[in-house]
Amino acid sequence: MIFERQMVTACIIDDDDIFIYGFKKFIEIKGVFAHILNFSNGKEAIEYLKNPNYAGNLPDVIFVDINMPVMDGWEFTQNFEEIKPLFGKKISVYAISSSVDIKDINRAKNNPVIKDYILKPISESHVADIINSYQPRPGFGGLN
Amino acid sequence: MSFFEHHNFFGENPAHLARLINNINTGVWEYNTVTKKAKWSDGFYAILGYAPGEIECSYHNFFENLLYYHDKQTFLKATHYTGPGATPIAHIRLLTKAGGYQWFETSALKHDDGDGQFVYGVLNNINNYKIAEFKAAQAEFMCSETGRIARVGGWEIDAPSMTLHLSREIYNIYELYGDVQLDIEEAISFIEPQYRPVVTKAVEDAINLSKPFDLEVLFKSAKNNVIWVRTKGLPIIDNYGNCIAIRGIFQDIDIIKKSGLSMQSSINLLDDQNKRLQNFAYIVSHNLRSHAGNLKFMVNLFEETKLENDKQEIFSHIKTISDSLSATMGHLDEIVKIQSEIGKERKLVTFRTIFDNVKAILRANIDATAAQINADFSDAPQVNYIPAYLESIFQNLLTNAIKYKHPDRPPVVNCYTQRDDKHTYLIFEDNGIGIDLKRYGDQLFGMYRTFHQNKDAKGIGLFITRNQIEALGGTIDIDSTVNVGTKFTMKLI
Repeated sequence: MIFERQMVTACIIDDDDIFIYGFKKFIEIKGVFAHILNFSNGKEAIEYLKNPNYAGNLPDVIFVDINMPVMDGWEFTQNFEEIKPLFGKKISVYAISSSVDIKDINRAKNNPVIKDYILKPISESHVADIINSYQPRPGFGGLN
Repeated sequence: MSFFEHHNFFGENPAHLARLINNINTGVWEYNTVTKKAKWSDGFYAILGYAPGEIECSYHNFFENLLYYHDKQTFLKATHYTGPGATPIAHIRLLTKAGGYQWFETSALKHDDGDGQFVYGVLNNINNYKIAEFKAAQAEFMCSETGRIARVGGWEIDAPSMTLHLSREIYNIYELYGDVQLDIEEAISFIEPQYRPVVTKAVEDAINLSKPFDLEVLFKSAKNNVIWVRTKGLPIIDNYGNCIAIRGIFQDIDIIKKSGLSMQSSINLLDDQNKRLQNFAYIVSHNLRSHAGNLKFMVNLFEETKLENDKQEIFSHIKTISDSLSATMGHLDEIVKIQSEIGKERKLVTFRTIFDNVKAILRANIDATAAQINADFSDAPQVNYIPAYLESIFQNLLTNAIKYKHPDRPPVVNCYTQRDDKHTYLIFEDNGIGIDLKRYGDQLFGMYRTFHQNKDAKGIGLFITRNQIEALGGTIDIDSTVNVGTKFTMKLI
């Protein structure tokens, strides 16, 4: 039997186009088996997650920027908490920001939705490890 | 026998009298002004510390050797008194055998007799009383001087009768002179109305609950001088724990309090500036970090990627980052400039002139959006301001009004000034998309805060506007309704 490694679906929410480009590029270069969803603010991401059409392609892990227009990272976590019961699977959320403001760091620590606070510039291998640790269980996630 | 004969030494035998005179603890003396002879009782010697006869008994000896030279005048005045009534009592200092000069009280009486004219009297040592009197006088002087210098007085409320006693200095602070007595209610009525309930409550609590108090309140004296005073009260309790009196002080602390208040306002100002600086430092570090982070990220990718196409794309991103870095540095320059320009001279600037300049600069944008711009500066045509700031304020607000115009209608801007007794206001209204203040109100004037998905948004304009206005001591307020419009009210000076 051939063991086929399944793809992890990672979601990146950031208003910085360059960061999103770079994120996708390093996933490609590092050979991380991941499918990437990207949104430029929290609102777009919430709309996607809520949409039943995409229920079969929900991410396993979300990296959300804190400082964004329209809906920032904090508001995203609130909205995420509300719609969480719809998902039918566990989705981990990481905050990702270049803010070294201790207020932001503590706020992230005290936010039950946020699993960890990753400071930009990111360590590619650290993020790769996180993504690789989310092996989707059979029957869920994308099959591409 | 008369009553007097019973209770007098009249007719006693002389030996009995001599014994009496010699044994009492008082000096008795007699001086014959004709023969110039003096007689001193044993007690006279004794109170000076001598045995009888140990020193020469003479007026000369007394006057020249025993009597302190400074008190000779006093002594003579008393002994040669010729006026009506009893001869006055003189307080004099005499040299004692072992105790140095001590205070004595002497009274003299004259008596004309067949064998000459006599002056006689008694001498008492009053040194201890005199010293105590001096000490008391000194203590009182110290106390009243301390009170006068410190502008502090003492008061006492007797709890059962609720009567109030105030020291002299308190009346001085009240600027009440002459024969005035205040009761508790009257004393409290000099305190400014907003503080009266606090003081009344404190006095009640002291009496009912034995709670001490220490209050700083505004007070208006009888001459209408409003000053800060401190009043502190300590309840005095009896054995059963009931308050029987309150004792306290009342002090004019106007100078200290006012300098304290002005220091507090300086501290608040500094605190404000400090917070803004810290906020600024975080923002700068955040923004520079994100550019620097991206740059590092892209450079890593550039090195790791093998495809020529990718390399080209990554390099174009590196160029973008480089431009963003320059733009950020430009923003920083602008902000630093605000601080350095504060010192620049303010000029009387005409709103209309500056506004027309800005309109001319933005002409292309105004025309492109068919914006209607109404301005009325008639209420306050001019203001003493830094011209560059006013220009920048107009430019930022006008640019925002156009940039965040409502998609369904051309922008309409109303800009006008208002003036009241003290301040000049600039009001700026638009009919744009507005902003949800509940969500963004606290971040609105922050640096690099953007709220709409507008690619031109830099999040710098309102931050700079606020900094310019606040740097000159003004304020900026916003009122906005989503899809209706936004109104900025700026107190310029």
